Amino acid sequence: MPPSRSDLLQGTLDVLVLKTLSNGPMHGWGISQRIQQVSEDVLAVNQGSLYPALHRLEEKGWIAAEWGNSDNNRRARFYSLTRSGRRQLAEETESWERFAAAVARVLAT
Amino acid sequence: MLRRLAGSLRALFGSKAREIELDEEIQFHLARETEKNVGRGMSAEEARREALVRFGGVAQTKEATRAAGRAVLLETVLQDARYGWRTLRQSPGYAAAAVLTLALGIGANTAIFSVVHGVLLQSLPYGGGDRLVRVRVDASGAGIQDGRFAAPEIEDIRALSHTVEGIVEYHSMFFVLLGGTEPERVQTGVVSANYFDTLGVTPVVGRTFLPGEDKKGAEAVLVLSYSYWMRAFGGDPAVVGRVFTMNDRPHTVVGVLPPIPGYPEDNDLYMPVSACPFRSNPMMENNRHVGMMQVFGRLKPGTSFEAARSDLASVAARMEHDHPSDYPASARLTLSPVSLREELTRQARPTFLLLFGTVGLVLLLACANVANLSLARLVRRDREMALRSALGAGKGRLTRQLLTESLLVSFSGGLLGVGIAMAGRGLLVHFARRFTPRAPEIAIDVPVLVFSLAVSLAVGIVLGLLPALSPKRALSASLQDGRDAAGSTPTRLRARNVLIAAQVAISFVLLVGAGLMLRTLWKLSHVDTGFRSERVLTARLSLNFTRYAGREERLDFQDRLLERLAHEPGVRSIALAGTFPLNEGGPANGQYDVEGRRASSPDQKPRADFQRVSSDYFTTIGVPVIRGRALATTDRFEAPVVAVINDHMARHVWPGEDALGKRIEIETDPGKMTSVEIVGVVGDVRQYSIADAPVDQVFLSIRQFPGLGTCLIRTDGDPKRLERALRAAVHAIGPEQPVDRIRTLDEVRAGALDTPRLTATLLLLFASLALTITATGIAGVIGFSVGQRRQEFGIRMALGALPGTVRAMVLRQGMRQVLVGLALGVAAALVLTRLWASLLYEVSPTDPPTFLAVALMLLGVAAVACFIPARRATAVDPMVALRG
Repeated sequence: MPPSRSDLLQGTLDVLVLKTLSNGPMHGWGISQRIQQVSEDVLAVNQGSLYPALHRLEEKGWIAAEWGNSDNNRRARFYSLTRSGRRQLAEETESWERFAAAVARVLAT
Repeated sequence: MLRRLAGSLRALFGSKAREIELDEEIQFHLARETEKNVGRGMSAEEARREALVRFGGVAQTKEATRAAGRAVLLETVLQDARYGWRTLRQSPGYAAAAVLTLALGIGANTAIFSVVHGVLLQSLPYGGGDRLVRVRVDASGAGIQDGRFAAPEIEDIRALSHTVEGIVEYHSMFFVLLGGTEPERVQTGVVSANYFDTLGVTPVVGRTFLPGEDKKGAEAVLVLSYSYWMRAFGGDPAVVGRVFTMNDRPHTVVGVLPPIPGYPEDNDLYMPVSACPFRSNPMMENNRHVGMMQVFGRLKPGTSFEAARSDLASVAARMEHDHPSDYPASARLTLSPVSLREELTRQARPTFLLLFGTVGLVLLLACANVANLSLARLVRRDREMALRSALGAGKGRLTRQLLTESLLVSFSGGLLGVGIAMAGRGLLVHFARRFTPRAPEIAIDVPVLVFSLAVSLAVGIVLGLLPALSPKRALSASLQDGRDAAGSTPTRLRARNVLIAAQVAISFVLLVGAGLMLRTLWKLSHVDTGFRSERVLTARLSLNFTRYAGREERLDFQDRLLERLAHEPGVRSIALAGTFPLNEGGPANGQYDVEGRRASSPDQKPRADFQRVSSDYFTTIGVPVIRGRALATTDRFEAPVVAVINDHMARHVWPGEDALGKRIEIETDPGKMTSVEIVGVVGDVRQYSIADAPVDQVFLSIRQFPGLGTCLIRTDGDPKRLERALRAAVHAIGPEQPVDRIRTLDEVRAGALDTPRLTATLLLLFASLALTITATGIAGVIGFSVGQRRQEFGIRMALGALPGTVRAMVLRQGMRQVLVGLALGVAAALVLTRLWASLLYEVSPTDPPTFLAVALMLLGVAAVACFIPARRATAVDPMVALRG
């Protein structure tokens, strides 16, 4: 079954979150800022749709959440990558690169 | 693990705490976004609005977040289940053994729990429920235990008691019902009009009795029991309104009862007291000495059982005060309440609880066995687990995987077990019927299913978490090992040895229990009953009371019947008797006086069991005449009244003397004492139960005291062949006389042992199950460790160890656990078997031969179970083992 558009989008967002967290724990708002910043606003997602993704990843055991204090000393929920999350990221990155390379080869011909 | 489980559950059920957390998280996000916007120079209000726009709907986000959690949980559960299913399919042997073992364990528990629940736990199927009581009367000074009430006494209780309301009376009689296909003898409950109102029984068709229908002159009406309605009328509602003849009077059926326990007796139908020719007799109404009724009532709301007890005691005191000549102080009249619930289940309780304990042990055993199997399997799966954890599966996820697998196994076992229990329900009801009238209530219903579900769940969780408790091998060690079965950790080995010892111990207890019951059964079936039961046909005859009211008519009937049957081919001798040994019914206790030593007061009189028998009774059932003569046909009205007594009474009443020629006085009619000469002494028989020692018995001639009860025929060949001739003879004399309960005396004797036989059979069944499970468990564990040590054995044999030595070594190691288990089992059995002392007959709960025999058998089975894999150990070619 080919992945539907939403699956693709969802998968993409998941990878972005995992990638973002690979630099260290971060709270939800931070993740949204980071994705926006790194992708130079191209991938500006609806900020709210980040939370279902975070929840899903947490349930899958790829990320873990913990309450902590943010830089301005407010209580925030920090997310961090778990071991299986790290493995998942590696897998996703690899398959993404394979996919991108394949597309690049097709386009280069 | 638990935290994750809790998290999942929270996600599933949307707990409040998680909701608040999510809310806080989103508020934090919005606050930061607003701050950022303010930093860019927006006004506070604008910044907030912009933040909300960028966020895109707080409520929708929350819902989507919740949904995401649920979806993931469901996905992983399904994934685990699919994976679990696949792994189980890969080892069908393990799966089948585990599922089957648990199915037997859970099935046995479901079945017995359905009995315990249906009979002991659930409340009575009467609207009156647990407040219903029976009023019990005792007069210990007069030798009356749990006696019956006379009509005026019931009026006294109704008038005097403050704590018991809805006082109703009951007694049961046999009448002949005419108007159906053929004359039928029906057991009839004779009750107050409000009897069913007090019990709280609503009819399924028609109505029960109306107030006033138990008054003199009321039309005779009948209410059918559910089972009789089904049996005789196929459940046809049109039976209401039909008119039948009973006691030469028309009776109209007005209703049908729901299925209720056949208590106090399993009546076919019920009539109000006014319709019973005996109960409505004026002599009965006013006589305090003719008691045949039982009394029931309901505790008033807010009244305690103890209050009722003291209230009834004062009722008794008042009766003694008002009627001193009827209730002398020396008789010690007492009235007390008996809870109906207690009454209906008392007899069943010890046996059922024993069985419940037994199946509980069987389940433990089954679990130990499956645990052993899974531990062995886990050793083989070490590498798989290590690999999966190296690939990033968390410890929690792996545990959940194992838990899912074991739940799959336990629920499959549970499902199969419920099937087994359903298949066995009929047998169980049949079994329970011997102990309690509540047996038909036994059902595999919702509470029972919940119980099985809970048991399956508990078993699954315990078995699934067991591996989590056992230490994991270091990751690298597991992966480095080239071989699959890389060897057990010492802890696991120890755990498995403990499980084996526990299994042996439990089996020992169960086997001893079964053994003690078997010994009891053996003792009971070898009791000398004092009569010869072979080739005797028995039947119940009931004369229609109204048609054969006078003794002349009855005597005429008896004589004609004896004469007709005596000439049938194959009849060796024939007898009529009120009852015969081991037939249903209790002792016919009566008082008498020994001439020359008259008792000083009525309650000091000696008592004996009085029987009416015809002249050939003793010959027919093979009871020897020890001295004097048996009763003769010449012992009839005109002749002096004579009696034959049993040996027990002769020795007991006239110790060291000859009882022959002695005289006793008995009350033959109200107020009329008759002197009776003792003309013979016969051998003792077990009259009412095989287990009870003989009591004093007096046999009177049925020609001097006519009244039919049963007919006995000793035959030359198969007694059943005379059944037709017997029916024909009875119907030729009295076409309306029912003949039923036709059985051979052998069947009656065997039937008397049905209860202990069934109990022993069930216990034996469970014990054999236990033994089989244990034997396979031992063989499995030893076999597995032998498989693990193939190389070691190879080396030993290569170095010169003889096969016998290796076998002995394996055997020794296996039997060590067995011996430990046996020791534990003996200790446990010494304590536990005391619990079933009440079920044993002439066998001590610590009967040494039973203990010894069971120990030897268990050792033998265990040795075989060890030996089979031990032989495999030496079947190894050293070279092959070393290269492997």
